[in-house]
Amino acid sequence: MKRVATIILNRNLPAVTDSLCRHLIHHDGDLTDVFVVEAGSDTERLSTHTSWHADWPDALAHGLRYSRGMNHGLSQLWKEGKFKQYDAFFLLTNDTELQTSATVGPLMNVLDQHPRVGILSPCAERWGERLLLKDQSTKYFWFIHNNAYLLRREFVEAILNQHQPNHMGFVFDGSNFRGYGAESELIAKAYANDWAAAITSEVWAMENESHLLTQADLIKTEGYKENLQLYVEEGRSWMRHKYGFNSRWSMQQYVKCFYDKFFEFHPEFSSYQI
Amino acid sequence: MIQQRLESFLQKRKCTLLGVGPMSVNCVDAAIELSNEHEVPILLIASRRQIDSKEFGGGYVNNWTTEEFARYVIDHDKKGKLLLARDHGGPWQNTQEVIENLSLRRAMESAKASYRADLEAGFQILHIDPSIDVHGQPDVDEVLDRIFELYEYCWSQAQQLGQDVIFEIGTEEQSGSTNSQEELDYTLNAVQQFCKKYRLPQPTFVVIQCGTRVMETRNVGSFDSPVRVADELPAEIQLPKMIEICNRYGIFMKEHNTDYLSDEALQWHPRLGIHAANVAPEFGVAETRALLSVLEANNLAGLSERFLQIAHASNKWNKWMLPATQATDRDRAIIAGHYVFSTPECVALKEEANRALASKGINLDQYLRQQVKNSILRYLRNFRLVRST
Repeated sequence: MKRVATIILNRNLPAVTDSLCRHLIHHDGDLTDVFVVEAGSDTERLSTHTSWHADWPDALAHGLRYSRGMNHGLSQLWKEGKFKQYDAFFLLTNDTELQTSATVGPLMNVLDQHPRVGILSPCAERWGERLLLKDQSTKYFWFIHNNAYLLRREFVEAILNQHQPNHMGFVFDGSNFRGYGAESELIAKAYANDWAAAITSEVWAMENESHLLTQADLIKTEGYKENLQLYVEEGRSWMRHKYGFNSRWSMQQYVKCFYDKFFEFHPEFSSYQI
Repeated sequence: MIQQRLESFLQKRKCTLLGVGPMSVNCVDAAIELSNEHEVPILLIASRRQIDSKEFGGGYVNNWTTEEFARYVIDHDKKGKLLLARDHGGPWQNTQEVIENLSLRRAMESAKASYRADLEAGFQILHIDPSIDVHGQPDVDEVLDRIFELYEYCWSQAQQLGQDVIFEIGTEEQSGSTNSQEELDYTLNAVQQFCKKYRLPQPTFVVIQCGTRVMETRNVGSFDSPVRVADELPAEIQLPKMIEICNRYGIFMKEHNTDYLSDEALQWHPRLGIHAANVAPEFGVAETRALLSVLEANNLAGLSERFLQIAHASNKWNKWMLPATQATDRDRAIIAGHYVFSTPECVALKEEANRALASKGINLDQYLRQQVKNSILRYLRNFRLVRST
């Protein structure tokens, strides 16, 4: 039985997705099953590793993006009765680039060594956070901006909505379509439920934004600039309606409160505090 | 005295103090008027390129020497609200010292002479910044040694002159990277030990890279960015950590390159615990834009075109350009505008404009000053120095 379910989000970039799948199967195939969510992809542009095709009209028209896409994948595992067979879920967008060696294995080692880590993110070579991981390769953060997260099943179970196992509300809030602030919400939920969020430099991963910059038409998304503008506008509106926060800094303070509390109750992890 | 005054003000107001770059006479007047009208302290932060002593040939702002600048401010600041501050004092911070390729000892002597002139003129805040070295990149300990030498010198000179002075330290500027926590901790600890050993007052401010960086007419740092900036720690992480360290050492945190941040980002400065923030080129650009707009709205396009040519020809925009810039010649000229306000061609041009606008009932400098005041007011309001309503 494999310990990890890797869920990759694709929209109309089968070659890029297949390459990532092959990489994972080659380096981590003994540890992970690989699933691909087709986020409203055209039928002629599906990955050869497709697991689930979100092909309802809205998905075909607008795609799913990270929150809805990962909800779809996770809820499918739930509905198919496979959810509980995994210890963790590795959520990736298809533009993630991994080092040319094992990724899932080292991440699971970190998860095993850190029993209260619910969210684990690989670091990237051009992240400033690497400066904080020079002496210790894993530390706990209150802010992680990434598209590659390993989520511990027990943490996901603490926050999932079993009454809504679908793309809108299973784990992430699908109403925040483009996901501005979604990572902070997830991290707040982790610390609020006594789970930590960590970054490790044991493995590296990076997002190759060139696909978004050069193939936006194929991915059927807005251009980079417009997408960024909508990402912020829609996310701010979501944050305001859901939390009454008019700024990402309010969200930050909210998350940081839970973070600080976590270490009050878990002084044994204080060496991992940044 | 100055230290207590600022501490007490910050404690009562829960605000962020504003450092205004004296980009022009109108900018200086705008800062004086606002601080007196609203009875709030404003730091006038003069770099050595803007204002320097007579022996260094003054600076580009109104060709003022340190003495003339200080006299002007002290005479006009009726309520004594302005604080005269030297921004980035230190070796090779004056263009002449770079051109002459001075050796370390000569550059340090030169910096000391400039500080001495500051103190004699009545400057109250000295930023000791020996991070520049035209002969190579000094390491942290070398920078610290230079800080100590200049710090001790300035303090003893101030004592001799009976001048109340406070200090700002900080070892990098516009590097685009963030100081590491270890580096800040190490620097503050070393400075604290040094001050204790020689019975000197602790510095009041330390410059922290908060994720702000000015290029063209934008802030391109991570503070206001919804996406990652390569090689920078997200401001969400950097700021709370740095503030925590500053608070541990009882030193005020000062942000540089605050220009062009959004209102939302500025409003969070007091809440995040940023004690002071410097803004400079934005006010110069505000004045240049106001000048062009009033000329162009009053059928004086010929004059605005001439001004743009002078500004563009100065090449002073060069250092502000992004690598893949799409800036037009006009954009570049606007960025460089305030550097040429005091050139003879520009002074003559403004006199001509003055005459033409006066016939239409417009007082040019009054108009320009008001536009700069509006620009400064945005910061005063967002920093809780002036009430919004």
